[in-house]
Amino acid sequence: MAAEVVMPKLGMAMKEGTVSTWNKKVGDSVSKGDMIASINSEKIEMDIEAPQDGVILDILVQEDVGVPPGTIICYVGKPNEQLTEQNRSANELQAPKNEVAAAISLEEPPANTASSKKNKETVRISPIARKIAESENINIETIQGTGPKGRITKADVEKVLAERASESSPQTVERDNPAINKETLPVAGMRKVIASRMHNSLLNSAQLTINMKADVTDLLSLQREIKDVTQQRHKVKISLTDFIARAVVLSLQEHKQMNSAYIDNEIQLYNHVHLGMAVALENGLVVPVMQHAEKMSLVELATEIKTRAADARQGQLSTDRMQGSTFTITNLGAYGVEYFTPVLNPPETGILGVGATEDVPMYKGDELQKRNLLPLSLTFDHRVLDGAPAANFLGTIKQYLEQPILLLL
Amino acid sequence: MKPLVVIGGGPAGYVAAITAARQGKQVTLIEQKDLGGTCLNEGCMPTKSLLASAEAYEKIKKAEQFGITIPLEQVKINWDGVQHHKTTIVKNLVRGIGYLMKKNSIKVIKGEASFLTNHRLSVRNENHVEEIEAEQFIIAAGSEPASLPFAPFDGKWIIHSKQAMSLPAIPSTLLIVGGGVIGCEFASIYSQMGTTVTIVEAADQLLPGEDADIAFTLQEELEKKGVAIYTSSSLTEMQPEDKTALFKHKEELHELQAEYALISIGRKPRVLGLGLEQVGVHFSKQGIDVNEHMQTNIPNIYACGDVVGGIQLAHVAFHEGTVAALHACGKDKSVNYRAVPRCIYTHPEIASVGMTEKQARSEYGDIRVGEFSFTANGKAMIANESVGKVKVIVEPQFNEIIGLSIVGSHATELIGQGTIMMHGELTTDIMEDFIAAHPTLSEAIHEALLQSAGQAVHS
Repeated sequence: MAAEVVMPKLGMAMKEGTVSTWNKKVGDSVSKGDMIASINSEKIEMDIEAPQDGVILDILVQEDVGVPPGTIICYVGKPNEQLTEQNRSANELQAPKNEVAAAISLEEPPANTASSKKNKETVRISPIARKIAESENINIETIQGTGPKGRITKADVEKVLAERASESSPQTVERDNPAINKETLPVAGMRKVIASRMHNSLLNSAQLTINMKADVTDLLSLQREIKDVTQQRHKVKISLTDFIARAVVLSLQEHKQMNSAYIDNEIQLYNHVHLGMAVALENGLVVPVMQHAEKMSLVELATEIKTRAADARQGQLSTDRMQGSTFTITNLGAYGVEYFTPVLNPPETGILGVGATEDVPMYKGDELQKRNLLPLSLTFDHRVLDGAPAANFLGTIKQYLEQPILLLL
Repeated sequence: MKPLVVIGGGPAGYVAAITAARQGKQVTLIEQKDLGGTCLNEGCMPTKSLLASAEAYEKIKKAEQFGITIPLEQVKINWDGVQHHKTTIVKNLVRGIGYLMKKNSIKVIKGEASFLTNHRLSVRNENHVEEIEAEQFIIAAGSEPASLPFAPFDGKWIIHSKQAMSLPAIPSTLLIVGGGVIGCEFASIYSQMGTTVTIVEAADQLLPGEDADIAFTLQEELEKKGVAIYTSSSLTEMQPEDKTALFKHKEELHELQAEYALISIGRKPRVLGLGLEQVGVHFSKQGIDVNEHMQTNIPNIYACGDVVGGIQLAHVAFHEGTVAALHACGKDKSVNYRAVPRCIYTHPEIASVGMTEKQARSEYGDIRVGEFSFTANGKAMIANESVGKVKVIVEPQFNEIIGLSIVGSHATELIGQGTIMMHGELTTDIMEDFIAAHPTLSEAIHEALLQSAGQAVHS
């Protein structure tokens, strides 16, 4: 009996995965565990292995075509084995196959998730609108529908086409003008995933950013004091980022509303803190997740962050280390950025942007002192909480950073 | 509550009034005659009542075909009875609108409205004039029959549609000038009642807005009932004294004497007398200018229904009235004319939605056409109503259903299916495994769709 290889579900909110490369073609023989395809979704690229020995009987999903998780992408069976109608019709039913034939462990919803409901948002669209959008390669999730309950109509698709045409007309001018030389990059792989996730984030939540400065002078001296100790005893250098991560974890436990996700019109509050840390890569970025950061000491957290970041940079981060985050930190301080507007990592409620510290003269009582200030930018989802509780959360982080001894306890 | 005044109690006006009232507006409706407008009092409803009588008569005459023997010489039309049925229906329907006004706390004032300023109206009622102030206005003043420039209506010989439905007796001869919807409906009614009817039409076919083959099916049926039809003809003279009309057909001058001459060459928007000039509302002979929210150039004044010209149909007026009222109440609402069914109540009926074949060819070039004749439909054969066909127009690239025309029995009911397909923006591949009930006339629609894809079963 032929084995079905399906698009795995790599994250709770994953709606679509794309085969980026087929390493085998129909008729090729494979051994169990052979890499047959690379897929990408979310922020992840991963390989799909053959579930059994045999040959590739049929490939159902071509490269660069996005399909929902559970969709059969190919069959592996005995040479000359006929695929039955049952095989064939399985895909049309789109029954999510949880028993993935490919050797991939499926993600379980986070243990403390209040509801295990799948995110099955469907796009309302008329049949002719869908056909035109497909033929013109328009992502229907990006079209604003004007029909009943936001249904996308033919006119809506035509509007997008018209906008696209008017946007491309200046390019015609450019093409005619030899002085303007441009380069076109395809939006594919990780870029495509990031583009879609970030765009959806802005489309589907009510996010805004608030800023605050934390005085980290004392924290920096503490860091210097304990540097050698931790280096010797724990083989880890504790960075400012590690302190901030610890401050965030402690603050999240005091402000549960921020440690949450907005899924299917429900707000899910988590008791555990799975902390995401954005790591820049040469061709994009990934967010390794420090699971159960609430159970880690500062040293343990620092060690975990260093290990995961190194894995991420080497492309060795396993899928389960990239999902389930409940809050994310992104740090642009190294690039000299002060304040910025981080974009939420859906379905999370908050993301903290960390800027570059700055030495400023500041009055402490009557005395002018040189102090180090750290700019913090908190983006949060206004659907989940309002400005005052968000500001309180940011204030708590500031408190921890300004009384750093608390971070060691 | 912010006051809103609706001018006109026809389909556009009363629907706008109810919609605005339900949105919390304090609504006053001004109507110079009876609630219900042209549709209820002198258009859709009374003509359908006459047609129902004519068809009952026709059916009885054909009883023998179904094995029922009736002494036909005793079957007669009681014209007073026909008129009584009509007036009873109209009265009940108008009463129904009155009830809806009360139920929605809409104040109804009888009189003629005219703008003084863009917030003030005068309402003249016989010898009494009152002034009404409001924040917003919706003009739904409707339309009236257009007359021939050289022969105004005299109500005795040269008549319009309202007069044609209340004649003292069934005329022996009737000249109909204009073979559009209204002309064809009266031709159908009176020819079935025994009148000798002649139609003179300027265009090269009856029903110029419909496909030629569809209109021709009706022409053949009318001719079978003795209707003389002159297309590509122009009226040159009307002589009321001897009830004679002169018209030119194929370079030849014809003379025709008829008991009545019904002029049905269209309806003109009632734009005069409303004081539109007074407040600077833009309008022309073709109607009041409005945007997609049915708003005039004066933001607190809306217009909808026949008075804005365009598609002068009651169901379009309902839609426009709803849009005008909702937009006036702050909702972001625009008109959508994508799938407006067109119904012609003749025998056989004609109904269509979307593009005609001719329009589709000029718009898309290459199109696919699927047809299915009622001669191959069991239900139509049983009813001895196998004249006619269904024609579906399909755009070939995406298989979008862009038009459906039906000529035949119950076409006006069947078109609802096409309207749903067009409104839902369906494609033929979605309809391929559709299950049509059997035996029904509706099967012909499904067969025509299949035929457009080369898959028809019963043809």
